Amino acid sequence: MLAIDMLGQAGLATHLRSSSLGYDPTEVRPGLFAIAMNRSDALDEYLKVQLHIPHSAPTRQISAALAALAETAPGVREIISIGKPIAESAAGKWDAVVVDAPPLGQFQSYLRAPRTVAELVPTGNVKRLARGLAARLQSDRLTAIRIVTTPAELPTLETLEALTAIKDAALGPEPTVILNRVLASSGMSKSDLDLLGDGSLQEAATMQLHLEIEQDHWASQCAHSITLPYLLGVFTPGEVAEQLADRIGSPL
Amino acid sequence: MTSTIIVTGAGGVGKTTLSAALGAAISQRGRSTLVLTIDPAKRLADALGIRELNDAPTRITGAQDMWAAMLDASASWEAIVHRYADPEVGKRLLANPYFQALAERFPAAQSYAAGERMAGYIETKQFDVIIVDTPPSGGGIEFFQAPAMANNLISGKLLKWLTGSNLPGRGLLYRFTARPMLRIADTVLGGPMLSDITDFLLDLRTMHDTISVRSRTIEGYLRQATTIVATTADPTPIHETRRFFNELGGVDIKPKAIMFNRKLPGSWIDAADRPIRDVPDEALRAKAKANLQAWAGEARRQSDAADEISARYHVPVYPIPWTSPPPQDLEQLRDLIADTRIVEDLGF
Repeated sequence: MLAIDMLGQAGLATHLRSSSLGYDPTEVRPGLFAIAMNRSDALDEYLKVQLHIPHSAPTRQISAALAALAETAPGVREIISIGKPIAESAAGKWDAVVVDAPPLGQFQSYLRAPRTVAELVPTGNVKRLARGLAARLQSDRLTAIRIVTTPAELPTLETLEALTAIKDAALGPEPTVILNRVLASSGMSKSDLDLLGDGSLQEAATMQLHLEIEQDHWASQCAHSITLPYLLGVFTPGEVAEQLADRIGSPL
Repeated sequence: MTSTIIVTGAGGVGKTTLSAALGAAISQRGRSTLVLTIDPAKRLADALGIRELNDAPTRITGAQDMWAAMLDASASWEAIVHRYADPEVGKRLLANPYFQALAERFPAAQSYAAGERMAGYIETKQFDVIIVDTPPSGGGIEFFQAPAMANNLISGKLLKWLTGSNLPGRGLLYRFTARPMLRIADTVLGGPMLSDITDFLLDLRTMHDTISVRSRTIEGYLRQATTIVATTADPTPIHETRRFFNELGGVDIKPKAIMFNRKLPGSWIDAADRPIRDVPDEALRAKAKANLQAWAGEARRQSDAADEISARYHVPVYPIPWTSPPPQDLEQLRDLIADTRIVEDLGF
């Protein structure tokens, strides 16, 4: 297994209890490798491995130009970032490649990038590669998209919007939704609240019951395949990841 | 003079709700207030109960003098081109496929357009206070870095590489494609792509002087603005908060406050350990106690996190209570921050 932190912001490293992740796969558990993306390494690799730039070519200059291009031309930065996970998965070294992708608003730009670049570039290797990436991203045999959301108003509305956008523009296979941070039912009901006095006991019960109603409402708005619990009082990202891993088990 | 508040922070911490709450509270104090969201998602409309937000400010019913607008990136870029480019160049730019893709589809470009829009509103002097709700994560920091990025784009690191240090006219450009390096790049990357981009950059370059002055002006507004970082106790937002403090220093911006959202009452922590005497039903007592203890654990975790960031960054941390259901209207939005004095402390 390979896990990729696509934004390279150390979120994945802390959840895997790894002090730091680099661009080369680090084995964090037996059989589980992880990397953190780094755009200049990804660019280098894109040039050498994917575009097959000949050894005689002035790679340094081309790479400098592409680095500038990545800041300038639409889609280049995104395609380099999303190209890495796709290349890893195409290489056949891993049973699965799991990508921790950017937030939904930005993620759609990444999904769109290969197609945008394929449309903008008239000919050549870049176009061919971009087309290949777009095809792989769209294949439901090779790619699966999981949207992780929580049962609250704004995350749910954003998820529904993204589901429609991805479907309408055929940006990838239809995503399935993982509902995270779902409170377990307390087993209490509204009529119990009057029996709990007016202190913290009653306040916490009121809060819990309101949240149960709210989360049931939003959970019903959005079809989801997996539900994960809200881990109240759990402190570190490593603990959170391990407790969730125990519960995800086979559904994924 | 128009004052500006920028609310930044990780995704999902309630930035938009907090921006709307600040807007509601400040407008109630008799100041004309605009809440501007640059988030592609239509969050602000949801929080304010308006069906749709667009590029033009919409007046919020029920508030004294409160307005809201959402940034339409492509409309803003068009405005920038119309304002700064020579009409003929402008026409060519707007028709260029790179320009269209740049304007519509990519968050970094949106961040610059948003800064430009913010500056535009500041300069109209139509509002006393403008509250800017930034997009989450990298996008939030990008908002502050965008003027410098735009300047780099226009001053043309790429263009210089493509054309040499002397900037040629359009006609001279293709002479350079004969250079061996470019010939290789042509073969490898698809030459027409580079030429098209170069055309685009040359046109963009005609706006260099105005945009470079403009981006410095925007940077000035960003430095003068009151920046607030919104967070919750969750590991990801806390991590992002650290990043914001570390990276915002690089653009000479120091956040003035942290809004610590969804805070639970600290009183639950001690209460969870006290014996319960006044609930006779044993089964209910057990359920209610287990519930309070679970939430008290969460309250403890929150209070540790709040103490840590307050000690680390020496800025006031304003706890914003966790309400369920979330604020549904203007009054509830105002109530959300009513106990904090954040509006008074920051001088609004």
